[in-house]
Amino acid sequence: MRTPRPLLAAAAAVAAATALTLSGCAGAPAPSHDQIVQGGTIVYAHQQEPACVFGGWIEQAYLSYQVLDNLTSLTADHKVVPWLATSWGTSADGLTWTFTLKRGVRFTDGTPLTADAVAYNFDYWLKGGNSTAAVWLAGYYRSAKALDASTVRITLAKPYPNLAENLSQAYFGIQSQHALQTRTQAQNCAAPIGSGAFLVKKWNRGQDIVLVRNPHYTSPPANALHKGIAHVAEVDWRFVADPTTRVAALQSGQSNAIYDVPAVQWKALGAQGYQLEKYVTAGRPQQISFNTQVGPFTDQRVRQAFAYSLNRKQIVDTIGRGVIPYEGNGGVSRTTPGYSKRAADEYGYDPARANQLLDAAGWTGRNADGTRTKGGKALTVTLPYGAGSIINADGASILQGVKEEAAKVGFAVDLIPVPQSGLFSGAYSAPNTHDLSVGYWTAVTAGILYINWRPSTKADPNYSNSAFYNDPALESSILAGNSAADPAQQAADYGKAQQYIADHALSIGVYDRLSTLAVSPKLKDVWQEHAQGGPTFYDAYFVR
Amino acid sequence: MTALEAPGQTLNAAALLARRPWGLYVAVGFAVLLLVAAVAPHLLTSRDPSALDYPAALQAPSLTHWFGTDESGRDLYTRVVFGAAISLPIGLGAAVVGIVLALLLGSTAALAPRFIGAAVDRLLEVMFAFPALLLALLLITVSGPSAISEVFAVGLGTAPGYARMVRGQIKAAKGAAYVEAATALGHSRSRIVRVHILPNALRPLVAVFALSIGQSIVWASSLSFLGLGVAPPSPEWGALLDAGRSYITVTPWLLVIPGLVVVAVSIAATTIGRHLQSRLERGDRA
Repeated sequence: MRTPRPLLAAAAAVAAATALTLSGCAGAPAPSHDQIVQGGTIVYAHQQEPACVFGGWIEQAYLSYQVLDNLTSLTADHKVVPWLATSWGTSADGLTWTFTLKRGVRFTDGTPLTADAVAYNFDYWLKGGNSTAAVWLAGYYRSAKALDASTVRITLAKPYPNLAENLSQAYFGIQSQHALQTRTQAQNCAAPIGSGAFLVKKWNRGQDIVLVRNPHYTSPPANALHKGIAHVAEVDWRFVADPTTRVAALQSGQSNAIYDVPAVQWKALGAQGYQLEKYVTAGRPQQISFNTQVGPFTDQRVRQAFAYSLNRKQIVDTIGRGVIPYEGNGGVSRTTPGYSKRAADEYGYDPARANQLLDAAGWTGRNADGTRTKGGKALTVTLPYGAGSIINADGASILQGVKEEAAKVGFAVDLIPVPQSGLFSGAYSAPNTHDLSVGYWTAVTAGILYINWRPSTKADPNYSNSAFYNDPALESSILAGNSAADPAQQAADYGKAQQYIADHALSIGVYDRLSTLAVSPKLKDVWQEHAQGGPTFYDAYFVR
Repeated sequence: MTALEAPGQTLNAAALLARRPWGLYVAVGFAVLLLVAAVAPHLLTSRDPSALDYPAALQAPSLTHWFGTDESGRDLYTRVVFGAAISLPIGLGAAVVGIVLALLLGSTAALAPRFIGAAVDRLLEVMFAFPALLLALLLITVSGPSAISEVFAVGLGTAPGYARMVRGQIKAAKGAAYVEAATALGHSRSRIVRVHILPNALRPLVAVFALSIGQSIVWASSLSFLGLGVAPPSPEWGALLDAGRSYITVTPWLLVIPGLVVVAVSIAATTIGRHLQSRLERGDRA
């Protein structure tokens, strides 16, 4: 913390005390008036630096959540609550959504939040303003129109009952229409103009982003712990790639909070009094999908053999040390509504079965290294992974375990750590570049299945279909789930899709992707927002 | 033997013993051990460097696991032993690439016609202007991380320094009296270069080569530590250092032991190189 100024303002103390109660810390002694410090700078050590504050990557979402407000927010028990929208409703046919906006909200450039601005944002996302928002809405969104200054109507092509949930993700943060229309793309990339609790003061590329409190903030989400402006004056959002350095920074007092706590440090930090926050992100877990178009995994038996060869639970439990949960489901993680445990349990550890399947698939020979061969060709498969970006150090160790376990039945897995630049340039995205693909995709609903499994066509390619698997049967289950108004029916449809993915061994889960925080005992009420698990500093305050 | 002679003889023996190059013996012994590790690792360990043993994860050094175990229960001693078969060839290969490049560039700069020599001199200066590690990083970024990339990156990074040395040695030899004598005797230029200049100029490179092996291993390990060398779970020493980094505050031996091995290899190579250097210098003086 950098030189916080004490303030004995009763309002702040009351707000803080209320916040503590709301956050479930009632058991802990509440800070007294003179213990609470108003202002100060939170030094937060994060792992990765994105190219823009706003965009379609979760690292951007974490940042833009501090700067932009969404229409809706999600609670811990997955209820949608108001944020910029005070209320919303759908037509009987599910094709029209009407959002009523909070009045009196202004963007940090001084322009008012209007229905026109919200409608403009929808069109902006679809035109490429946010790639992730676009893939969520594509195929469903038709138009957005302001009915009056504070009412916006969204028209859909097909019913999408989970729209309000999805809009709670930071990819759908609302920006100033004036800023989007008048500023350059680079300006909006570096410092987007929203109505959020903070605004970007300065970005020292490669080092940190300094966020400063919005002095006129009036629009916190309904599930925030207080109202009014943020307690702290600034957030120094630093980029510290090395996890050990982040932990050391926290322990030495150079940081007040850190992201992505290594599993091996988890218990020790807890014992030292640091507040630990763990959020299992919903959506696609850290999973391995098989290339079904090129290479040995075009044969379903080989895919199933690979799945059976791995003692995934033991690998994850050992490396994850009780912090990282094992996930067997390749479609969605356990925190996703509609999660299918049956699909998750499809492939237990069964090396004998794996060997049988490989024999049946014709991989009967062995070379000097013990790798299976067929027609003189070795069963060598490539697994590129985003080292340090998509897969952290714990994840890399887990993949090493995957490699060694698969080797026991005759797979030679070639692990290829790919730097962020190589990954995002698409170096390993084409079917002829790899056999296995590992990665996650955070979401708040099982609608993520549509993004990951929608068939790819020439006219409408799906670059997120990492298994390159195009089957209308799978798509129809997902589409049915997307449009099912009844939650039970929706879960059944999504469950059917997950089972299809498991039965055809298109993808296998490995572990649930986590968002973890460790926070100094001197910093209170840092919490993780419930759409993606990013840190929320709006309610945070220091104590003496 | 008189009573007075005995203490003197004892002193002489002790002095002689003390004068023995024990450091060299230790270095050579260690180098032999490394060669055994590289060629026949199973003579030094019965374990598999990749064998996972989950219940044994992150164990401290003990009689069972001399160097402890990593996060997957793999035996670190075994991985260090097997790592020699990867790290040593990388270091050796990089040293060869560096020396060969140095020979080509240095001899061209010294022996080629003036305008070519001047061009090579400028090239060497440009290469010098780049920090060697940065040059290596640049090459790996372009070619992608692998053992081969590492060999060429480190070799290229070290070559300019050695090339300048080669150039200087050849230039000095060109001006030596024996070359003038050979010229006066009417020997052809190629014969003078082949018989008189190169053998005399390149003799110091034997020692330099030995020294550069240690340096190359350190550099290659540095690149792997940065994630730009051999990919995990290879037991290459730099990769072991990189893997151990995440556990430094919990299980420091995972980082410290591979680090000490790299340091020890570098010291051994330097000790042997310096001994060769002094032997060659003594030979020159004789």
